[in-house]
Amino acid sequence: MSTKDKPFGVLAEFDNPADLMDAAAAVNKAGYKHFDTYSPFPIHGMDDAMGLKPSRLGWIVLAHGIIGLLGGIALQVWSMDLAYPHIISGKPNLNFPAFVPVAFALVILLSAFGAFFGLFKMNRLPKLHNPLFNSDRITKATDDGFFICIEAADPIFSEKQVTAFLKEIGATHTETIPE
Amino acid sequence: MIMDHHHNTLSDRLTFPEDNRIATGFFAAGILGVVLSLIGMFINTEQFFYSYLTSFTFIASLVLGALFFVMVQHVTRSSWSVVLRRIPETISYQLIWLGLLFIPILFGMEFLYEWTRPERIATDELTRHKLPYLNTPFFIIRNVIYFAVWAALGYWLYKNSIAMDRSGDREIDRRQRIISAPGLLIFAYTVAFASFDWMMSMDSHWFSTMFGVYFFSMSFQAILAVVVVLVLYLFRKGLLTNTINKAHMHDLGALLFGFTVFYAYIAFSQFLLIYYANIPEETLWYYYRFEGSWVFLAYLFLIGRFVIPFVLLIGKKAKTNYRLLMGVSVWIIILQFLEMFWIVMPILHQGSISIHWLDITLLLAFFGISAGLFFRQFAKHSMIPKNDPLLAESLNKH
Repeated sequence: MSTKDKPFGVLAEFDNPADLMDAAAAVNKAGYKHFDTYSPFPIHGMDDAMGLKPSRLGWIVLAHGIIGLLGGIALQVWSMDLAYPHIISGKPNLNFPAFVPVAFALVILLSAFGAFFGLFKMNRLPKLHNPLFNSDRITKATDDGFFICIEAADPIFSEKQVTAFLKEIGATHTETIPE
Repeated sequence: MIMDHHHNTLSDRLTFPEDNRIATGFFAAGILGVVLSLIGMFINTEQFFYSYLTSFTFIASLVLGALFFVMVQHVTRSSWSVVLRRIPETISYQLIWLGLLFIPILFGMEFLYEWTRPERIATDELTRHKLPYLNTPFFIIRNVIYFAVWAALGYWLYKNSIAMDRSGDREIDRRQRIISAPGLLIFAYTVAFASFDWMMSMDSHWFSTMFGVYFFSMSFQAILAVVVVLVLYLFRKGLLTNTINKAHMHDLGALLFGFTVFYAYIAFSQFLLIYYANIPEETLWYYYRFEGSWVFLAYLFLIGRFVIPFVLLIGKKAKTNYRLLMGVSVWIIILQFLEMFWIVMPILHQGSISIHWLDITLLLAFFGISAGLFFRQFAKHSMIPKNDPLLAESLNKH
């Protein structure tokens, strides 16, 4: 592995969740935008420490839900009243109470699609290769390791400065990850 | 859980201020309501019992909702709710009094329940078939069982919680779960059958297997609103402001939002099945409740109890917007009363909404006395379970 090429980022290990949280807050405060934290379990308060904005996923799901609702009503109005107007058990063609279950189910279906594919896209999946796996240590993130990786994509990234900065805020080990 | 990070500890005063006159105020309003209602009882006895049942079921639904809330928190070992659990605990402790408030209904059964009237039994075959269940002695026995069970559950859960304040004994926490798990099962049956007895049997022909769930879904949505209102009231008094934080309110708001949807789902499902099957003995119940101006209330519940809270509370920020939460919660509590009114009253006043002054005086009586009892009891002990094993986790909720 050569570090002459443009690196992917600098990975730093921390001792425990509390140190990681402090470090994440410090990295956020220093103005870095392209960084992420890796830990074996979710750490409450990490979103705030990293300065993450609220997810846009809710809006995606809402838009899909509204499409499902309107689509469900349109489908039934068209099929029950315009295309195939039949009287069923003495009810009017535009039988809105009976339309509710189908419209409701389509809201759920489209919202679920919105949530699933929205999350897929926002997590940048599918990802066939993640440069982080160039590091041997990162596997500890599924066991007992707590990591921050500041990525080279960050506008203020400089390998030397970032390495020094991470050491300064308490990293027990740092390494440069090749692309 | 990061406990060493920004560790919150108890820093608020834990007792409700003694100079607070809110309990006295509610009692005074309640007694005024009682006096006026007693006068009304002699003027219009039939109206009195219908109004009485409306207000009784309204208060009962809140108190039962609170009991359910407490038991669910124990069974799931919830940490988030520990800081606000004393509020529903104190409300469900009132179940002891609720049994006494039911007794007057027994004297008005001939007005409220057509299956008690001999001429109805003589002429109506279907009512005769239901007599093994719908008869006065069995009705009384069932209600004695309901109130005994609920009062015991509410009393134990409250007393154990108070005992833990003093001793901090973790064994008590375990005992709370041992009470709550079977308690929930018994609760499900007793509340369903109580709702059949109190309200569904007013029309002795009508039945809906969903009615128990319908009553429960309304109750739970309403009690969440009550807890929100009480916490925000404490905040306004400057109490528990460092103990109950935005994350707790967000979760309460999320539950209120979720059970708004649950209420709509259940209430609509009950309606849709009956509407679609179109069998006269089932549709008649809705017929009276959609007749004339009563239908406005039905639309009010659809729009006001589902659509408006749903739209207002769907956003994440809305759930921590205290003014909005307060407004929505008070609105839901008012609609809870109106829905009881809509269930009970069309039997007496067919064809159009008719509000009698007894409806208001009896609401005043029930609400005043219940709220007075709540605040009197709430001021006696710590406002939070201060020695609960999960308190530290609850205080540090994000």
